Amino acid sequence: MATLESQRSVRSSSQIITRQQMRALNNFFSAMLFLLPSLLIFVFFVFIPLLKTINLSLYFTDPIGRPVTFAGIENYQTIFSEKDLYNSLKVSLTFTLYVVPTTMVIALFLAVLSNVETKGITVFRVIFASTIAISGATASLIFLFLFHPAIGIFNYILDLLRLPRVQWLLTEGTALISVSMVTIWLTLGFNTVIFLASLQGIPEELYESAKIDGAGFWSSFRHITIPMISPTIFFLIVVSTLGALQAFTQISVMTHGGPVESTNVIVYLIYRAFYFNGQYGIAAALSVVLFLIMFMLTLIQFGVIERRVHYN
Amino acid sequence: MKRSIPNQILLYVVLVVTAVIVLFPLYQAIITSLASEADVSNYPPKILPSAFRLQNFLDAMTTAPIPRYLLNSIIQASIVTTSHLILASLAAYAFAFIEFRFKQFFFLLFLSTMMIPWEATIIPNYMTIVNDLRLKDNFIGLTLPYLATAFGTFMLRQFFLSIPRDLYDAAVIDGCGRIRFLITIAVPLARPALGTLAVFSFLQTYNQYLWPLLVTNDQNMRTVQIGLALLQDQERFLWNVVMAGVVMILLPTFILFIVGNRQLIRGLTAGAVKG
Amino acid sequence: MKRKMLFVMVVLSLIVSACATPAPVVEPTASGPSKFAFWHAMGGTNGEAVVEMMKRFNASQTACIGEAVFQGSYDDSLNKLKAGLQSKDIPAAVQMFDLATQVLIDLQVIAPMQDFVDADKFSLADYETNVLGYYTVNGKLYGMPFNTSNPMLYYNKDMFKAAGLDPAKPPRTYAEVLDAAKKLTKKDGDKVTQYGYSMAIYGWFFEQLLASSGAYYLDNANGRDARATKATFNNPEGVAILKWWKEGYDAGVFGNFGRPTADTQKAFDAQQTAMMIESTAGLRSRLSAAAGKFELGTGFLPRPDEATFTKSGTIIGGASVYILKDRPQAEQDCAWQFVKFTVSPDIQAYWHTASGYYPVTKKAYDIATDKEWVAKYPQFLTAVDQLHAAPNNRYTQGALTGVMPAARARIENAIEEVVLGKSTPQQALDAAATDVTKLIADYNKSVGK
Repeated sequence: MATLESQRSVRSSSQIITRQQMRALNNFFSAMLFLLPSLLIFVFFVFIPLLKTINLSLYFTDPIGRPVTFAGIENYQTIFSEKDLYNSLKVSLTFTLYVVPTTMVIALFLAVLSNVETKGITVFRVIFASTIAISGATASLIFLFLFHPAIGIFNYILDLLRLPRVQWLLTEGTALISVSMVTIWLTLGFNTVIFLASLQGIPEELYESAKIDGAGFWSSFRHITIPMISPTIFFLIVVSTLGALQAFTQISVMTHGGPVESTNVIVYLIYRAFYFNGQYGIAAALSVVLFLIMFMLTLIQFGVIERRVHYN
Repeated sequence: MKRSIPNQILLYVVLVVTAVIVLFPLYQAIITSLASEADVSNYPPKILPSAFRLQNFLDAMTTAPIPRYLLNSIIQASIVTTSHLILASLAAYAFAFIEFRFKQFFFLLFLSTMMIPWEATIIPNYMTIVNDLRLKDNFIGLTLPYLATAFGTFMLRQFFLSIPRDLYDAAVIDGCGRIRFLITIAVPLARPALGTLAVFSFLQTYNQYLWPLLVTNDQNMRTVQIGLALLQDQERFLWNVVMAGVVMILLPTFILFIVGNRQLIRGLTAGAVKG
Repeated sequence: MKRKMLFVMVVLSLIVSACATPAPVVEPTASGPSKFAFWHAMGGTNGEAVVEMMKRFNASQTACIGEAVFQGSYDDSLNKLKAGLQSKDIPAAVQMFDLATQVLIDLQVIAPMQDFVDADKFSLADYETNVLGYYTVNGKLYGMPFNTSNPMLYYNKDMFKAAGLDPAKPPRTYAEVLDAAKKLTKKDGDKVTQYGYSMAIYGWFFEQLLASSGAYYLDNANGRDARATKATFNNPEGVAILKWWKEGYDAGVFGNFGRPTADTQKAFDAQQTAMMIESTAGLRSRLSAAAGKFELGTGFLPRPDEATFTKSGTIIGGASVYILKDRPQAEQDCAWQFVKFTVSPDIQAYWHTASGYYPVTKKAYDIATDKEWVAKYPQFLTAVDQLHAAPNNRYTQGALTGVMPAARARIENAIEEVVLGKSTPQQALDAAATDVTKLIADYNKSVGK
């Protein structure tokens, strides 16, 4: 093999470059083929609509969303000068901070728990994963019932325990927390399963040799488990953050952005702008702003976190 | 791993308590779906099942054609899920195993679709589907904009990346073609991820409300979340009937989950890469 | 460019409609009956009743076949219609809530009901003037009322007796309600187990309380003498409403069960609150929930004082049916036949007894089924009396502007601020009025006014 290569190199250096270039070209076209179906859908149903929305954000619109007069950056000036956008950013950020770390920790705990080999563990694995099968709308309806201020189970349990009732969805402090609780419950199943799959992929030998070296549970957890599942942790952080920043159904069904705007996350602000207020230009501008924020956030996450990810 | 008896008991206690907490909301939904109207308009609410009123389910089906809507949702979600599995596997393969120029750019391009709020795309897509393509009231119109998934691509890419490089290199040396590698080695190894993606994609589609509302008028094409809305009347909100609707609507995804779960479990216990 | 197109289309359609002879009777065409669609927002058992109505209509004649299509909630339907207007994906008849009236008029998509009424020489003499009043703009009837209601006081007679109050005499003024609530509230230590009174944080209630106090929500007489340009609900009457709300809440005798009206209804059904205000359309539900538990009483919507009972009254809320003009004439004519059918006494009696909404024609009360129903549920007479006691003036006709849905939501925000102690009633309403006035200005600009 080596002789052949050097023979080739002797023949003509330009030919080797061409071969490399050809392989690169070959790779590129192959890759494009694999990406093509997805790209086509994305171009027509995501990117072009985004461009249309960006266009719409530069206009004043009529009540059914048609552009009327050119506004330039006025829509953007409007949304940056009112307090709604800043409030929503704060709410969205708070919500994300409530949801993402908590879900990660609980899901990891459940995954570690269900990773134990013991009789009947499969049943528990299924139970812990079960919230995957529940949609945001159905979960919201169920929790609406549980959170009911008068006849809800949660307040009833508090009554039985002689504790004061909580106005779950009705006071600013508690509303966002309640919505977060529902979101955490909803995403537990998915995160647990992903963590579990990842944990199961860690070779047993690593733990064995660590034990021989005298490492305890926490030590091997920190030095073996976490690094080995770091691609998964990274993936889940990115995906959960994007999901939390776009959480919508729970708020739409349970709180409508209230009380007093305490659950008015930015996606709901956009929805309200176009669905209830008929302000399509403003909603378009808000969408663009949200997109840019998420884009930058993800770039940061890739820059900062993926560096620490341990790939095989 | 031999555990002492007290540790074993502790383990089971923790497992059971956690399981009860996780299942509690679902349990409430089920007993409410079987309760009578009086049960759900009274204080104190019922923690234990109080009735077994299957009539609620019949009432729900009289108010909204749930079986038909279920069928439509299942078909719609199956189309999207199948498309997701195929398209995401192909794209993830490229991102994980092919070296090509602008890979980072394309990956970011894919990811960026996850950062575009749905409000920015839903009305333009409605115009395209209903106006330009005239695909109202059929499954193509219902599913077309959603056939690709950046999320699935991302997830599978991570899984493919955790497959040891030597495996791939060995396959290349053995003359294994790209597609063959994908189908015979990469996909089986990523079974837990695929199973999860399948449930996830199915559910996302199943969960849609506004999109199906916009692109269908024909009662025979409507989907499940619209049915749920149809059950709710602000003047006469019957929690027991609404919960019966919720339970019926949860059934297909749960069945899919149980079935898909076996794939997951098989994938999990076989271990990702154990030599 | 698009606006010019719209203008041209409007002019053309005016010319065409002026030249066309109205055809009140629809004959089946050579190719069979004309098909049309009716979009509605009725869910639950009301939705079933609408489907039944359409079935009966189709069975009653051969020229038209109609299909009733559920389009989600009122807000969903409006957005669906808006999207549909851009692609001509619209029905011949559509049910739209009261708040959408101005928008639909401004979009110039309605074929005014008045035109069909006039062409068919249809007599509106037996129809409730108050009910028609909301949908009459500049003397023209735009939509035909379909499901109408207004709020009234519901109370638990058993609790009244237990508290030493006269169960036959519900409180009538804000002060009386507050007094009664204090007597009716029960506590278990620090926890309230039974509130005296509650009302959902629902913008509609504020609009109703304001109207029945004899005050305007918007300028230019609620936007009915001329286009509304600003919000005026931060007037003394509006502030008085929120002051009352806050007083009761701070005293611990008004319960707060949030925005969803269904939640306050459930609290009342579960006997966690002795009084509440709710729509007349919910009467049947309240009665079946109370059956065997307690005796249900009904009273007029509370007013600030006795004088306002004669000065003003409640607004008729609900929804009406509009016929859209961008559909073929045959479909529009079918839609008119359907509308006529739905407002006939027999069908109104059916709809009334099935749903609890008011009949729009007084003749419905003469139908046997209706008589039985009213006899069975005497509490309903309160609702009828309240409807008839209300004068037909600019207060009771309700506020008209294209941003009503947004205004209602903004008011709910203001109420929350007051109830949660974040602003005083005046501050909250002033802030809301500023916001709504800006929305109105933007809206008027967007429709070229």
